[in-house]
Amino acid sequence: MIALLFTEFTKAARRTRTLIITVMLVGLPTLILFAIHARADRPADNPNGEGLFRLASQSGLLVPAPVLSVMSGFLLVVIAGTIAADSVAGDAAWGNLRYLLLRPVPRGRLLVAKAVVAGVLIWACTVLVSAAALVGGLLLFGAHPVTFPGVARFAGGFHLDEGALLLRNAVATAYVAFGYTALLALGTLFSTLTDTATSAIGATVGVYVVSQILDGIGQLGQIRYAFPTHYLSAWRAMFVENRYPTDMLVGLAVQVAYLIVFGAAAIVWFQRKDIRS
Amino acid sequence: MVNESIVAVEGLWKQFGEVNAVEDLSFSVERGQVCGLLGPNGAGKTTTLRVLMGLERPSRGSAHLFGERVVPSSRLLVRVGAMVEQAAFVPHLSGHTNLRLWWEAGGTSMKDADVDGALAIAGLGDALHRKVRTYSQGMKQRLGFARLLLGRPELLVLDEPTNGLDPGEIREIRELILRLAQQGATVLLSSHHLSEVEQTCSEVIVMNRGRLVAAGTVSQLIGSAGSVYVEVDDRERARSVLAGLAGVHAVATQGDGLVVDLDNGRRSDLAAAIVGAGLRLETIMPTQQLEDAFLHLLEGPADGAGPAAEAKTPPQP
Repeated sequence: MIALLFTEFTKAARRTRTLIITVMLVGLPTLILFAIHARADRPADNPNGEGLFRLASQSGLLVPAPVLSVMSGFLLVVIAGTIAADSVAGDAAWGNLRYLLLRPVPRGRLLVAKAVVAGVLIWACTVLVSAAALVGGLLLFGAHPVTFPGVARFAGGFHLDEGALLLRNAVATAYVAFGYTALLALGTLFSTLTDTATSAIGATVGVYVVSQILDGIGQLGQIRYAFPTHYLSAWRAMFVENRYPTDMLVGLAVQVAYLIVFGAAAIVWFQRKDIRS
Repeated sequence: MVNESIVAVEGLWKQFGEVNAVEDLSFSVERGQVCGLLGPNGAGKTTTLRVLMGLERPSRGSAHLFGERVVPSSRLLVRVGAMVEQAAFVPHLSGHTNLRLWWEAGGTSMKDADVDGALAIAGLGDALHRKVRTYSQGMKQRLGFARLLLGRPELLVLDEPTNGLDPGEIREIRELILRLAQQGATVLLSSHHLSEVEQTCSEVIVMNRGRLVAAGTVSQLIGSAGSVYVEVDDRERARSVLAGLAGVHAVATQGDGLVVDLDNGRRSDLAAAIVGAGLRLETIMPTQQLEDAFLHLLEGPADGAGPAAEAKTPPQP
């Protein structure tokens, strides 16, 4: 299994696409950082969004939060969806999948290895965003404690020292990365359903976009709690409301449920599939 | 255990919706044989090979390798070197890295592979360290051969291995297959290039529309479908000898020799009769090549009861 993981990782890591993603995931936080710097003197009017941007100029340790907030909703979704959905379909499109199975590599083991490598890359992408924002933030704003102003809806203001900020950044990054687990499972399943990588990627990202749209329709009620995107932003309460919300735990449980259901479906389907590519 | 056959297909059906890609197919390949799987495009050759390699599941019937039933990713495949359709690789990696990663994906070290032998066959030189996306089709096919030989396979399963190659490369591949067969490998070679099969294979299985049409040695198929040209020292005496021989339909003069139309007679019987009559046999050869026999077979009913002598009739499912 270790050898298989290594070969799959080598294949993924040496792609030009991986280099482009890396550049993008370092470049975009840098751009956002400069935007934060440029808007540092403007007043906050929305504590859930713009406020985090404005406060970020107080300390480089707070910069990863708004950057993650901006990038986790779409760009990281697209990247994670691409990585997951391309895992099997990419090899199939090259015609290389059948030769791996002729080696022979057991189908279940191959799928798990591909999903693990895709998962590691998704985590790496999320950590890279956070790390780029943190390093850039520290260089531009330094490391200081942050005082969050009171907001009418919530309790009064609060103060986070450097250690607390670092810890919450780490938790937020891990939560965002784990929040793509359902995407990973869905993408892997779609990847086994087609030999065309672009179709699998389109379907995976499409499901997430639809989920985000439907999640915004309040009339759907509690059904929205089961959407894979519903709890993606739960981590922001750590910075806005000074608490670790239970929604984060529920969000993790939802992701695990998607992993079990769609991961199992992917394995069962792939084991039975006729390999014609 | 089914029997001692290296490859055995029994009552195999493969359906895609309403279409029967393979229909009640049975055949076997024995150890050491170089067997051609012949058929026009759409005959079901590639589907048959995919089922044999565990890439597709049979709708009915079974496929066996080395006496054991094939299942997806069967460990039996470590004893097989297969090229199903074109050789394909990870395009952004070098030829050498492709070989290494493919081999190591199986959980074994490159130290266990026949790297030197495989690389000698690839004959790619420095190009081995170039990205595969820069390779010509011929280079990919050669790299494909190197890959399938890494594990010193006992059985080679080759699906149209010379597709996209130039005449020189085709000849190289043909000589390679024969060399491997001489070294003891069993070969199952699918092709619609009749001359390739004729020059490479000792046995032939003919498929059409998913069904077995005929199976036997190349000479059986050629002989079964037509006539033989004979040259002897006394043509008229030979004519009378052969005309009275069982299995001979007609004898006619052609040039310096005779053309003997066979119903079900064998060339060896003709030769024995001529020699037995005290005549000197100068030449005996089929008047047609495999191509003629192949086309003749395809014109017949595709129900396994074609005109081929000793054609194997598949058992009913």
